[in-house]
Amino acid sequence: MDSLSTQLKRDADLIDVQISAELDHRIAASLAALTPERPPEPVAQQRPAIFWWASALTGVAAALVVIAVFNSQFKPENENVPLIASSVPEAASLGIRTPTIDWKAESAMLTQPLRRELEDLQADLKKAEEKVKQDIGL
Amino acid sequence: MSNERQLIEAAKAGSATAFADLVRSYSVRLLRFLLTRCSSYADAEDALQDTLIAAYRYLYSYDPRWRFSTWLYRIAIRNAQKIRSENVVEFDDICDETSDPLLHCIAASETTNLWVTARRVLNDDVFAATWLRYTEDMSISDISKALDRSDSWTKVNLLRARKALDVEMNRGKEGNEAYG
Repeated sequence: MDSLSTQLKRDADLIDVQISAELDHRIAASLAALTPERPPEPVAQQRPAIFWWASALTGVAAALVVIAVFNSQFKPENENVPLIASSVPEAASLGIRTPTIDWKAESAMLTQPLRRELEDLQADLKKAEEKVKQDIGL
Repeated sequence: MSNERQLIEAAKAGSATAFADLVRSYSVRLLRFLLTRCSSYADAEDALQDTLIAAYRYLYSYDPRWRFSTWLYRIAIRNAQKIRSENVVEFDDICDETSDPLLHCIAASETTNLWVTARRVLNDDVFAATWLRYTEDMSISDISKALDRSDSWTKVNLLRARKALDVEMNRGKEGNEAYG
């Protein structure tokens, strides 16, 4: 131990203090009147992960049971009737005879090559454009 | 130490007598320490009483991994701070020899007490760290726990305190002041 440590230790011992009888009595009386506190009740532990798995599985099982019960109780009144009926009654089922249309049409015959047709159409379009310009005074 | 454990267990169970036996050896040392931090002898006594009451009341929270003295000193330091803040007395106000309880308690000594110098040149926490190191032989980690500081803080400040006290001690010797 070096000189500083020795000196500090010795000087601390030189501080002259005493626990007086009055202080001792005061402390003893305070302690006697006191009850040590108990540690606070532990907070309820968090539920283990398996609890949540069990809850989830129970929920899924319950949902499956409900679906199964619902399906087993539901029976269509007449199984021959289709579940989705057409909103428009078929003509045959109503006994209505559908008139047939006598189409009189001939298939178009191309007399000129398609290129000529295109040129004629473009010329017509140009004439029409010029006529419109004249009409509006341009 | 095993006796101390038994006393702690008995005190935890509610035996005030066991607690009184447990703290008997600490009381004088605590009062000495509190005297260096309080503005009057009565305040130091009050701080000691409050410390022991708080220790008994909250003994359940004592962690046996700590030294019991570390835990007691931690409570004592807080109580001394509380009493000082209530009284709002600065050390400057108590530095005359008539009112300083520390000076009063070493008046019989013929030498200049190094702890008086330490209190003058060190701040409160460094003073406490020095006290715990050199009078209680506490380890760095115990001092850090008692002061709620890091180990590195304690190491650095103990070294600085030591240097400062060395300088003061040598100055005292040169100036023919008797340091022991």
